[in-house]
Amino acid sequence: MGSAIEAINLTKYYDDLLAVDHVNFEVEQGEIFGFLGPNGAGKTTTIRMLTGQTRPTSGSLRVAGMDMVREPNRAKACMGVVPEVSNIYDEMNAWDNLIFAAQLYGVPKNERKKRAKELLELFGLHERLADRAGNFSKGMKRRLTIAAALIHKPSILFLDEPTSGLDVQSSRMIRNLTKDLNKNGATIFLTTHYIEEADQLCQRVAIINQGKIVAVDNPEKLKASVEKHQIIEVSFDQTQNLERMLASLEYSSKVVQVGDKFRLHVRNTSEAVPLLVDFARENGLKIISINTLNPSLEDAFVEMTGLSSEVMAAEKEQGKKAASLG
Amino acid sequence: MARAWADSLIKAFYIAKKDAKVYYFKAPNFTYGLLIPVSLYLAFSMAGEINSKLVVAGLTSLVMLFGTTSIEAVAVVLEKQTGTFERLLAAPISLFTIVLGKALAGFFFGLILAAVVLFPLAAVSGTVVMNPLLAVIAIAFASMAFSALGIIASAYAKWVPEAQMLSNFLRFPMVFLSGTFTALETLPSQLQVVARFLPLTYSVEALRSSIAQPAVTYTYILDIAALTLFTIVLLAISTKILEKRIA
Repeated sequence: MGSAIEAINLTKYYDDLLAVDHVNFEVEQGEIFGFLGPNGAGKTTTIRMLTGQTRPTSGSLRVAGMDMVREPNRAKACMGVVPEVSNIYDEMNAWDNLIFAAQLYGVPKNERKKRAKELLELFGLHERLADRAGNFSKGMKRRLTIAAALIHKPSILFLDEPTSGLDVQSSRMIRNLTKDLNKNGATIFLTTHYIEEADQLCQRVAIINQGKIVAVDNPEKLKASVEKHQIIEVSFDQTQNLERMLASLEYSSKVVQVGDKFRLHVRNTSEAVPLLVDFARENGLKIISINTLNPSLEDAFVEMTGLSSEVMAAEKEQGKKAASLG
Repeated sequence: MARAWADSLIKAFYIAKKDAKVYYFKAPNFTYGLLIPVSLYLAFSMAGEINSKLVVAGLTSLVMLFGTTSIEAVAVVLEKQTGTFERLLAAPISLFTIVLGKALAGFFFGLILAAVVLFPLAAVSGTVVMNPLLAVIAIAFASMAFSALGIIASAYAKWVPEAQMLSNFLRFPMVFLSGTFTALETLPSQLQVVARFLPLTYSVEALRSSIAQPAVTYTYILDIAALTLFTIVLLAISTKILEKRIA
């Protein structure tokens, strides 16, 4: 299979600021490719270059086999773009939004209405087709934005934070749809702050930090690269002061509280588990559950960027609040 | 090549149609497009400086100038502000097509406003338009030039009021320098030279010519040529500015 996206030494300067620094990666046709990175890492700038919204300062970029600098419009005709913030026209109804997208992408006149109707049904919006998009909920706006990006049946779909801030049901629907589109042959380029989501969906992921790609591989290989630590996840019948007590244990190098559970990074789980049971007995604690965990993609991400996904998500929320206030 | 141009023009029309649905009924278009020119007219008329024969062309041009630049301030800035401009940038169309679409939205808005003002004003003042076809042509060319001017002012702005303020730097000097309510010849000679660099001057002159003369005059042809040149240059500059702003 050929490449859907091919970036070679892709570089972008904003005046003297180097936003993307000689980035190289390739996305195969028909794969779901995750693009992860903290805020300010160069993720958005890279996507803007990939989707023809800004020109690279140097390097070469081919999308759907076409040079993005020389033939941007031919390449753009093959892609659908779902930006991080839903960008449909609030003043127009759902139907008009889709028809306008079809007109922009050159969908033949006799197919526009049929395609718009199909998409509204697929996304559960057909009963609200005459309603102003401004009256839609966030989830409905997101669905309409994705529908508009699919109106011309693109072979490559860029999804920027598609489930950010959505309810569980809408998120699940969008994840399932992503899988279905991919099964039908579409290449998906996905950026998300939910690393678990990338792990579930992506065949390969790239991690970008400070403008440079620090890893491109499939999630399992990235997890294997950080397997030097083993993790025990344990929960007790109480949680008070336990993080400090567990951190003082000799065999544990790091303790992280996750909800009512504690994750202990240990050198050897088979040696640590009996010691942990002794610890519980000595302190009058009852163990509710105990599991050994393999490193997650998030562990790999933290290792490579030095930033946890919680911090990343918090940054993101702050950015959104600032934008809405500004 | 011809097909690519036709495709670009069709898509520009779709953008203009969308802009009409989304932005035509926003309040600033009416406050700036109708109220300010009418207020200026009333101010001049109270000062007793209005020549009733000149006012039809002057006020119609002024309404078009304020209306088209106001709609551009709304249509360009709100599009950037709400993120929908990215939708246009991601579509398989050139930046020039987007700019042309925006200009066409302003152009049609200018035509509507001109019709709203010209016919009632001509009827009330008893002015007979000697050549209505030439008047319509002059209105069309002027409306397009003013729209292109509005895009330039809006390309720099982040907020609608900021765009209106930048437009005002261009609009208000024109009101006084382009012979809108008074004959251009009454201005000092240096200011008459300055007036030749302002599109409003050519709009007023071409409209006056079509009202007063049944036949095409040499001045009228020069006026239309000047408005065409303004449109081409201003659209090219707008595209360059936006290209730089989004780079």
